[in-house]
Amino acid sequence: MSGSQVDAALAVIAAQNPVINAFTDVLADRARGIVPTPGPLAGVPFAVKNLFDIVGLPTRAGSLMNRTHPPAAQDATLIERLEGAGAVLVGALNMGEYAYDFTGENAHDGPSRNPHDPTRMAGGSSGGSGAAVAAGMVPLALGSDTNGSIRVPASFCGVFGLKPTYGRLSRAGTFPFVSSFDHLGPLARSTSLLALAYDAMQGPDPRDPAQSRRPKEPVSARLDLGVAGLRMAVAGGYFARGGAPEANAATRMVADALDVTAEIEWPEAARARAAAYVITASEGAALHLDRLRATPELFDPDTRDRLIAGLAIPAAWVSRAQRFRRWYYDRVCALFENVDLVLAPATPIRAPLLGQKTLELDGVTVPLRPSLGVYTQPLSFVGLPVAVVPVWPDGGLPIGVQLIAAPWREDLVLRAAARLEALGVARVDRGRS
Amino acid sequence: MTPDDAVSAAVALSGVTIDPAWHSSVLTNFNAIAAAANLVLAFPLEDMAEYAPVFSP
Repeated sequence: MSGSQVDAALAVIAAQNPVINAFTDVLADRARGIVPTPGPLAGVPFAVKNLFDIVGLPTRAGSLMNRTHPPAAQDATLIERLEGAGAVLVGALNMGEYAYDFTGENAHDGPSRNPHDPTRMAGGSSGGSGAAVAAGMVPLALGSDTNGSIRVPASFCGVFGLKPTYGRLSRAGTFPFVSSFDHLGPLARSTSLLALAYDAMQGPDPRDPAQSRRPKEPVSARLDLGVAGLRMAVAGGYFARGGAPEANAATRMVADALDVTAEIEWPEAARARAAAYVITASEGAALHLDRLRATPELFDPDTRDRLIAGLAIPAAWVSRAQRFRRWYYDRVCALFENVDLVLAPATPIRAPLLGQKTLELDGVTVPLRPSLGVYTQPLSFVGLPVAVVPVWPDGGLPIGVQLIAAPWREDLVLRAAARLEALGVARVDRGRS
Repeated sequence: MTPDDAVSAAVALSGVTIDPAWHSSVLTNFNAIAAAANLVLAFPLEDMAEYAPVFSP
């Protein structure tokens, strides 16, 4: 039975990947050679963003330079845990170079394409993860999210996504970007699969020094609890401004379905995004300094020029941003004393055309590449758990809505996502190519 | 020294030379970072506000 699921996935990948370009490595021999472990994910094919270590492959992280690295000798912890629950790894997925990206475009491997319209972006940087799930190549994929890189592709591709609380899941065996903000998490075609994968991946890992020592808190058995009794609100102000009408329409559809009428003002969201922007540029530049010195011409030009700019940041700016982060975290926690779940758009627009360089926010034309995370960055900045649900506000492309809770309350965001899926408000439609 | 020169000099301190073909794009990116930083710097924080180097919610 499990073999048939893997074979079916490999057949869909063979048929669709020449157009969608979600996979950079298909591991047919490995997948067919595995006898799946009995478990909650027995036989479920999955794939991972190519910044995850996979035995026998150099971990390219969307780059050209990393391809000369030695092949990984051990799988990333989260791969081991999914396979321990019975899932079967079938390949590695395309991504924006070194994860500094919201588009899913890649100068070396070509762009991940949106299965619902291959002329459009899949979103990034986990573009292959969103596209592979949306196209039906695999029902489950892993991505990383530093400023929105799971949530933006989930929104554009119309799939479910989970960015857990910072420190919840081990990052061991993955190529880093910004240690202060790096998270890993799943994208899936259903909330039950999202929750099963999340549960399987929990647990302490001594290989990740930034991981919390918090014990496992499984959620799968609680998905059907619904949202009755939860205090819920729509994020107003910053999160209600700037987006295209469909972003607000999608949020309103979710609010109506959950019977949410309250609205809250999120504290200092614009400044939080700005602080995340500064820290990201600085930490990213520092991480890649040796490569910028030695072989700057081997970077994707869009990545390289952002990273070089980050080298010029005064240390005082970064320190101030980190201190603001603590202030902001205290205010966000205070907000969650009065509310359990907050709704906000995931992206300001639906999937843009490949190659598009600007977008309009609040009547102002801004660079597209850094701006697609305008609604995601203020949340990952303090590590909040967020589920993205795919909504179809009209006959057009999907767009995601974020369900946000206090730290460590992944159960609440997944319960709400499951309720929306049960109501038919959130759903995954298979893409066409 | 102009701001453009300052960016080039700061980058040079890290041992990286900006190719003339990249200069304009690097400056555009730096200006976006500076605009973000100005928003952060404009926010008053008390001296005792804690730094958050490794974040543990």
